[in-house]
Amino acid sequence: MTPPSWLGQGWLAPHYLGWLLHGAAMTAALALCVSLAATLLGILLCAAQDSPLRALYWPAHLFCSLHRNTPLLVQVLLWYFGAGGLLPDVTMQWLNTPHQWALPLGFSLDWPSFEWLAAWLALSLYSASFISAELAAGLNTVARGQKLAARALGMSEWQIFRFIVLPQALRVIRQPLLGQYTAVIKNTSLTMVIGVAELSYTSRQVESETLLAFQAFAVATLLYLLLVIGTQLAGSRQANGAPDA
Amino acid sequence: MKTPSLLLALTLLGTAGHALADRLDDIKKAGVLRVAAFDSNPPFGFLDAKTHQISGLDVEVAQAIASKLKVKLELVPTNPANRIPLLVAGKADLVAANFTVTEERKKQVDFSLPYFASGQQFIARKGSLSKPEQLAGLRVGVDKGTTQEIYLREKYSKTTVVAYDDTPLAFTALRNGNVQAISQDGSKLAALLANAPDKAKYELAPFTLTREYQAIGLPKGEARLTKVVNETLLELEKSGQAHKIYDRWFGPGTKAPLPRDFKIGDAV
Amino acid sequence: MMLTLLQDNLDYLLWGNLAQGQPGGLLLTVGISLAAGVLATLGGLAGGIALTMGSPRLKRSLTVLVQVLRAIPVLMLIFWCYFLLPILFGIDIPGVLTVIAALALINAAYLSQSVQAGIAAIGKGQWMAGAALGMTRWQTLRHIILPPALRHMLPSFINQWITLLKDSSLAYVVGVAEFTFVATQINNREQVYPLQVFGIVAIAYLLLCSGLEWSGRRLAGNSR
Repeated sequence: MTPPSWLGQGWLAPHYLGWLLHGAAMTAALALCVSLAATLLGILLCAAQDSPLRALYWPAHLFCSLHRNTPLLVQVLLWYFGAGGLLPDVTMQWLNTPHQWALPLGFSLDWPSFEWLAAWLALSLYSASFISAELAAGLNTVARGQKLAARALGMSEWQIFRFIVLPQALRVIRQPLLGQYTAVIKNTSLTMVIGVAELSYTSRQVESETLLAFQAFAVATLLYLLLVIGTQLAGSRQANGAPDA
Repeated sequence: MKTPSLLLALTLLGTAGHALADRLDDIKKAGVLRVAAFDSNPPFGFLDAKTHQISGLDVEVAQAIASKLKVKLELVPTNPANRIPLLVAGKADLVAANFTVTEERKKQVDFSLPYFASGQQFIARKGSLSKPEQLAGLRVGVDKGTTQEIYLREKYSKTTVVAYDDTPLAFTALRNGNVQAISQDGSKLAALLANAPDKAKYELAPFTLTREYQAIGLPKGEARLTKVVNETLLELEKSGQAHKIYDRWFGPGTKAPLPRDFKIGDAV
Repeated sequence: MMLTLLQDNLDYLLWGNLAQGQPGGLLLTVGISLAAGVLATLGGLAGGIALTMGSPRLKRSLTVLVQVLRAIPVLMLIFWCYFLLPILFGIDIPGVLTVIAALALINAAYLSQSVQAGIAAIGKGQWMAGAALGMTRWQTLRHIILPPALRHMLPSFINQWITLLKDSSLAYVVGVAEFTFVATQINNREQVYPLQVFGIVAIAYLLLCSGLEWSGRRLAGNSR
């Protein structure tokens, strides 16, 4: 029997698998950096929206609905291709020039490409607005009566937050938060449109070089499954611990 | 190993549908020829500002084929990377999108006689790029899934290749300084530059890397369809129509004039 | 600048080449979202009910399917539906339909989990009450469990519809002429106004999604 036409010339050569693995590593690294930044920003946004101060509430609220209600793809395109119109030439030039920082023990930190920076920024802002909503929902689950009871016991506001609210809220938001982190992994795929060499980008690269579309997409899909399900498993195993980024 | 048997089953399903069909009959029966053409690459295929229809040199060649078959032309907008998938998935009957003939692509699709020839060139800021050696260390923007992308990655390993969905997007990255040059077919770049509002800042680098031939892409094994396409192309050349089409987009009166140094039938 | 840009391209952005029988732009975005939204809602309801009432085997295989769909980026699923289904099965489906199918599939997977959770949130007592009244399990589901459960689920349905509307922009990668794709075509022609073009696009989506969110809230408020 002849090999099926759509399978083309057999399986992917090892170095193409290497490209895809490299893409998966880029996806993981980007997702990790985005998750960290988005969590921090999400906490700030949540606190601001919880604040009685109008000057804090409205900007944070506006930020969140602005980012939640526009497609991520459009935000990514806007940040990357629109940056030239937003930022002064000097800033663009500085951002585009490679910088290097020497670290102890002979390591050095390379300045990321502008594609990477734009992707990181767009994804972080987008994800932060969702994470802040999950955090708010989690804090709201702790019944008001408990806080009153704690106050009656003479606990300070900080103690109430630390020992009463936080432990319960963390338990409630762990799953939704984990969901947000897996969403970040999947959302990194959109950055292929601005040339970030993540997994979807490399899968199309392998496809255009080998013309083995089926194989390239199959391996990429499998790697996404591994990354996402791995994150889910790692997250749910961490009993009672703080959610990992 | 479960996967291979599943794949095998899917294949049997897949091939059964394809084996008997002849695309030429299908096209005539449907009365429609579906051609994948560029929508963002003047003058080959682009969205006309007034009519909002895709037009250009490739589209006129496609129209000639449709007229020869006496069917209606339906254009499927494509970017470079989607050309082969569109053809292989049967979403288009032909590709007329500045499609360069390569040995690698011949394994997946068939090509007609070439109807255009050009070479890989670069756009950079004025005075910043004058010879190929300068490419080392530069970041160069290309289109995903093009011969230029593959050629640069293979032959210029010190150049960082960044691939975008389409040439105008790559040009935007050049404007923003994200890449220092962009690479495509010389003819395509000349036209892109001619249409750029800020063309004074950029130039076509004065060297060409390769000689490439562009042809109509066809699904594999459609001998009758290929024959009709080739006949149409040769007739276009013989009647002088091919030259007229060329002049309409690259002639002396156009924005980016380019002398015609290739005739249909010159290369196979 | 933004004004002339908008003036010159407004009709194309709004409905593509509708006069030539090729709807596109915002109209196609709304069309794709509506079609996929209805399918996803029906699929989500059916899936959620099956996850509650089905046999253990059905539940297990559905759970795996839902998990896998939830773990794949929408972009990848669109690639699969668009390029690979026709090759595998030798059938050709128009591009718009494959995008609708991909969006419906992935959102149905999300919704079926919400429906399952919504049903599970209704206490065991309600099921027992139904049984005590002599109702079958299906009758109990239909008359006692689903009405309050659906009310509780409404917010997550609305969120999912908004997600779907936003994700319809991914049809861009396979050249379906919806709003984002049409906008990049215009951006590519105009060349030097990416900020303005994508700004206009973002505002349009913002209005659409906020409108959906707002009317959803009102709907949810009224049904309480």
